Amino acid sequence: MPSEAVRATVTLVIDGREVTAPRGTTVYQAARAAGVDIPIFCYHDRMPPLGACRMCLVEVEKMPKLQTACTLEAADGMVVSTTSPAVAAAQASILELLLSNHPLDCPICDKGGECPLQDQAFRYGEGRSRFVETKRDYAKPISLGPVLVLDRERCILCWRCVRFGEIIAGDDALKGFERGFASAIGTPFGLPVESKFIGNAIAICPVGALTSRTYRFRARPWDIEPVASSCAHCGLGCAVWLDVRGGEILRTRAREDPGINDVWLCDLGFFGHAYVAARDRLTTPLVRREGRLQRASWEDALGVVAERLRASLARGPGRVAFLGGRRLSNADAAAAAWFFRAVARTPHLDHRVDASPDGASLRVGWGLRSSLEDLARGDVFVLVGCDLTEEYPVLWLRIKAAIDRGARLVIVHSKRLEIRAHARCEIICRHDQLAQLTAELAAAVAQHGGAGCGASRIDLAANIMATGSRVHLLLGRFALDGPGGCDLLRSAQALSQRAGVTLHIARGRGNDIGAARLGLLPGEGGMHAPGILRGAAADGFDLLYVAGSDPATTVDDRAAWDAARMGVGFLVVHEAFLSATAQAADVVLPALVAPEKDGTITNLEGRTLPLRAVVAGPGRARADQEIFELLAARLGVVRGHVAAAPVGSVVPTPVETAHAAGAAQEPAAAGGAAPPLVLAVSEHLFTRGSMTGRCPGLAELVGTAHCLIHPSDAARADVAHLDLVELATEHAALVVQARVSEDVPPGQVLLPRGHDTAPAGALVRWSPAPVGVQIRPIAPSGGAEP
Amino acid sequence: MTIEAAVPESVLLRWARAEGMAQIEQYRRAGGYDAARRAATEMTADQVIEIVAASGLRGKGGAGFPTAQKWKFIPRAGPVKYVVVNGDEGEPGTFKDRTLIEGCPHLLVEGTLIAAVTIGARRAYIYLRREYHRARRLLEAAIAQARQAGFVGERIFGSEHTVEIVVHTGAGAYIAGEETALLESLEGRRAMPRQRPPFPAQAGLYQRPTLVQNVETLCHLPVIISLGPDRYKALGPPALFSVSGAVNRPGVYEAPLGISLRSLIFGHAGGMPPGRRFKAAFPGGISSVFLTEADLDVKMDHDSLRQAGTMLGSAAVIVVDDSLDMVEVMARAVEFYRDESCGKCTPCREGTAWIAQVLERILCGRGRVEDLALIESIAAGMTGTCFCPLGESVPPGLVASLRLFRGEYERRIAQGEARAV
Repeated sequence: MPSEAVRATVTLVIDGREVTAPRGTTVYQAARAAGVDIPIFCYHDRMPPLGACRMCLVEVEKMPKLQTACTLEAADGMVVSTTSPAVAAAQASILELLLSNHPLDCPICDKGGECPLQDQAFRYGEGRSRFVETKRDYAKPISLGPVLVLDRERCILCWRCVRFGEIIAGDDALKGFERGFASAIGTPFGLPVESKFIGNAIAICPVGALTSRTYRFRARPWDIEPVASSCAHCGLGCAVWLDVRGGEILRTRAREDPGINDVWLCDLGFFGHAYVAARDRLTTPLVRREGRLQRASWEDALGVVAERLRASLARGPGRVAFLGGRRLSNADAAAAAWFFRAVARTPHLDHRVDASPDGASLRVGWGLRSSLEDLARGDVFVLVGCDLTEEYPVLWLRIKAAIDRGARLVIVHSKRLEIRAHARCEIICRHDQLAQLTAELAAAVAQHGGAGCGASRIDLAANIMATGSRVHLLLGRFALDGPGGCDLLRSAQALSQRAGVTLHIARGRGNDIGAARLGLLPGEGGMHAPGILRGAAADGFDLLYVAGSDPATTVDDRAAWDAARMGVGFLVVHEAFLSATAQAADVVLPALVAPEKDGTITNLEGRTLPLRAVVAGPGRARADQEIFELLAARLGVVRGHVAAAPVGSVVPTPVETAHAAGAAQEPAAAGGAAPPLVLAVSEHLFTRGSMTGRCPGLAELVGTAHCLIHPSDAARADVAHLDLVELATEHAALVVQARVSEDVPPGQVLLPRGHDTAPAGALVRWSPAPVGVQIRPIAPSGGAEP
Repeated sequence: MTIEAAVPESVLLRWARAEGMAQIEQYRRAGGYDAARRAATEMTADQVIEIVAASGLRGKGGAGFPTAQKWKFIPRAGPVKYVVVNGDEGEPGTFKDRTLIEGCPHLLVEGTLIAAVTIGARRAYIYLRREYHRARRLLEAAIAQARQAGFVGERIFGSEHTVEIVVHTGAGAYIAGEETALLESLEGRRAMPRQRPPFPAQAGLYQRPTLVQNVETLCHLPVIISLGPDRYKALGPPALFSVSGAVNRPGVYEAPLGISLRSLIFGHAGGMPPGRRFKAAFPGGISSVFLTEADLDVKMDHDSLRQAGTMLGSAAVIVVDDSLDMVEVMARAVEFYRDESCGKCTPCREGTAWIAQVLERILCGRGRVEDLALIESIAAGMTGTCFCPLGESVPPGLVASLRLFRGEYERRIAQGEARAV
C-alpha cells in the first residue's frame, strides 16, 4: 500500500507502552524519547551505533536472542521489554564482566560521582562479584602528552574515544592496540597524542580511563558548580560550562549548542581557563614614576590619565588614539567606542591590531557571511590560506560533518594542512603565489564553469567549485595579510559573484567582531591600526591608549610597534598581566578577564553570546567598561544608561562591507622578483600568549619554536632535520629548530606564530612584497648545546 | 601423472594433488579455464546462478549458506561490486583451502572469475591468511599467468568482462576470517566485526555490494560447471574434510557430504593410533561442539550435524583420544578464544578471559567445587549476548564438556584439594 510506504513513523510497544517514533530511529532512541532508560556505555548519540558494550540488550518478542537496542531499528509492531528477567540477567552479567577487571579505585578516581559505570553498577549490578582471580595489571597511569593521562585498567573498551577521533574529529588520535583481552587504547609507540580535540575524548569517556592532567585530583563533581558561559578564545564563541569551586575555575566542559559547537569543544577551550587564576594577575594600577612602573591607587592612576587626556584635548581633537578590542566584552567595547569618540574626541580607534597595512584585512569586514548552521549545510568548502584546525577548530568539526555527508573540500595553502586527508583537492604553493593561484582559480571557474576541465589541480578545484550549489569560500589571515592579499581578495570576491558562492572572511579572534560592530573602527578621517602605529611613531599623538589587546606581541611588524612606543608621549594600557605592551606603558590599569564579567560577546557569525562572571576578579581589577566610565567622570562626562544587546540571534557581517572606514588607500603593488627563500608566518592554535601561556597543558602544547623547510632547500642550506638554525631577514635574526618536511613547498620557510622565544613579528617588516629569509645551521640536533 | 590418476575417486582434490597444476599450461591441458570461459562468454548470469542453485552448493567457510541464494542478494544494477575471497582459513584444524591453493592455484582463480562475471564485479580481492606464504607466492604467480593469457584483466576471454584480482594478506587475526571483520581489515582497519544488517551483499567492502566467498566454495564452481549440476550432485556432492588430531593419517580428504564420522576417521584417516581409544571429535573446527563415541555414525552434513547439536562448520575434524584430559582440551580452546577475541564486545573479551583463568586455576590444582557452576554461569552470560559468532561458539562446547566429562573436572578439583591438605 502506498500509504504504508510513505509513513514517516513507526509504532512499537516498549515496556507495555505504545511509542511512536520517526522511521529509521533505533529502539534505544525511541525508548529514550519516550522516557524509558536503557543503560549504555559505547553508544554516543553523535556517532553511529557500535553495539560493542552489550549493555543495552533488550528482549523483543519473536526474536530468538536478546537484541542491542542501540543497533536495532525500531519497526512497527515490535514488542520490546527493557526489564524482563532475561534482560535483567544479561545486564547483570555484562556489568559483572565489565567490573571483573575494573579497579576499585573509585575513591581516588576523578570520574567518581559522575561515572556511568558507577551509576549503572549501582542500578543494574548484582552488588557483589564472583571474580576471585587476579585482576588485569597495567602500568598506570600513563602520560599521553601534556593534557591527557590514560589509565588502561579503568578502561572498559567502549571505543568511544577511538571513534571520536575516527568519526568526529577525523584525526585518529587514539587507536586500539593488541587483541582480545589484551586490547588497550593508546597512541602509536605511546607518543604524545596529536589532536586539537582530545578534551572531548576525556569528556565522553564513560569511566576514569582518560583524565585531564589539569583537572586530575583537583575536585569531586559534587563540590563544583557549573556556570553556563561562552568561550572567548578563538572567536567562534563555543558554549561552555565553567566548573567553579572556591572562586576558581577548575574545568571547562562543552555546553550543548546546536548552532555553534554542538556538544564539542577544542582543546584551547577545554584547557584555556587557568590563566584567570594565574598568580601574576595585575591587582592594582601601576604608574610609571622615576622610570619604573609602581603601584598606585585607582585615584592616582585615573588622575594621571585624566590629566594627560585633558591636556591633549586642550590642544585639540584627534590627538589621542586607541588600539584594541579583541579581549573586551561588548559592553566594554561600546564603552571604549563611546569614550574615544565622544569624550576623547578622536576618530583614531581600531580593534584590528594584528592587520598589516598592505593586506586585505583592512579592506573588508571580518566574520562569516552566514550563520554557522547555514555554513554547515554547504556542499563545497574552499579554504584559502585558512588553517581551520589552527584557527577555528570547532568550525572544522562542522565542516568535517558536512564532508561526511558528501560535501567536498578544497584547500589552497602554503603548507599541507592536518585535515588534508579529507580534501578532494589540495593546492600547495608558496605564500607569495597564493594570490596568483586564486586568480587562476577564479579565471578557471569563470571560463569553463566546471565543464570540460583539464587535469590540473586548478581545473579540478574549479570543477569542484563550479559543481557545488552551496559553496563556502573561506579566506584566512594567511591569505588576507600575505603578499598580494588585496589581489587575492578581489579574485575571491569575483568568485563569490557566482550564484551559490558565499565568501567568508575567517578573521578575528576573541570578540573582534563585537568590537567592530560596537564602533572600535576608525571614524571619519580616522587612521586604521597600522596607521595609528605609524602616526604614533611620527609623534602624531599625545597619548596612545590600549585595551583588550597586546600589540607588542600581536602586531605583525614588531619594529612598527617599537617605533610607535618610542614616538608617543604617553601610553595607557588596560591589562590583566604585565604583558609586553604593559611593560612599556606609563599607566597600567588592572582589567578583569572574560570569566570575571557579566555581559556578552559576538562571535564570528555575528551571534551575540552570554558571558558570565563565574569568579571574582583579583585585587582591585576592574572591568574595562567601568574604567572608561570612571575616566569619563573625571573628565566631567557621565554616561547614560546603555541597554545590553540581546543574546542569541545571528546577524552576519553584511556581504558588501568593504569597510570604507579606515580610509585604507590601495597599497603599493609588490614589485621585483621574489627572493629565493620566502618567509611565511603561519597561524598556530596553541601560543605563548599572555592568556594561553599561563594555562598549564596549553603552554606545553605550544611545543618547540620551529620552522618548516622543504628537503631541497634544507639540503642547499646544509640543514638537517631538527637542527637549530638561524633565520635571518634583512631586519633581524632568530634561532629556531628546523623541521625538514615535504609539507611545505620549496622556496619557502614557514614559521608558526606564537612562540615568545621566537617572535615571528621581529623578523618581519610591513611590506607588500614577500619577505626574503636566509637559513643557516648553528647547531646540529645531535650536538651538545652549551 | 594425469589428473585422473591423482586421486581417482575425487573431482576436486585431484586438481590439487596432480603434478604441475601451478602452471597454467598444465591446468589448461586438463580442461582448466573452460568453465570460466563459458561463464564469461556463453552463459548469462542467470544461467550460472541456476546451475549453482541446482548443484546445492553451500558455503564451505563455516556458515554453510546456500551459495546461489547469496549471489541473488547482490543487486543486479550498480556500477561497483566486489568479490572478496575469504582465504583467512583460521579455524583450528582447517587446512583444506591451503591444500587447494598450494596444489592448484588456478582452480581458485577460475572460481573467482566465474563468481565475478556472474555478479558483475570488476575487482576481486583474495584475502589470504598471513602465514600462507607459499600459497600467496603460487597464487600471485598463477594470477600473473592468467593475466598473460588474457583471463584476468580487461576483456577476459575476449568478452566484455573486466576482472582484476588482488591478493591481500591479513595480519594474523583469527577474527579476520569472520566476513565483516575481514572487510574491515581489507579496508585497512582493525579486524572487528561489523553490525549486520547491512549485510555485505548490500553494503560490504567500501560500502559497496560485496560477495564474500570461501576459497573452497569458489573452487567447486569450475567443477560444477564442467560436470553439470546433476553429475556433481550424484557425487555426494563432494566436500573436503580436514582431519587432524589422534588419527593415523591426518590430512585433507574428499568425500561425499553425508559420509559418517566413523568412516571418515576410521576409513579415510586410518583410525586411531596404536593403543589409543577414541574419546571425542570436533566435527567442524573447535568452534563446533564435540561429538563422542555414541555419535560416531552421525552423517557429516549440515542438517544431520545440526540435529546432533553441533555443526559442519569448516568440516575440520579434530580427533581427541583417551590420553587427553577434556579439561585440558577445553582450557586450550578457551585460551585460543581469549587470545583471538577481537576485543570489541564485553562478553567475549571479558568472559573468555575469566573462564580461561578459572580453568587454568583448576588445572593448577587450585580449583573449587563451586567453580563448575561459576563457569556454567559465565557461559550462560555469554550466550546470546556476544556481538559475533566467535564469542557465541565458546559456551556450547564448554557446557557440553561439563555435562559429558564432569568427572574429569571433579577429579582435577579433588586432586587439588587433596594436595592442599
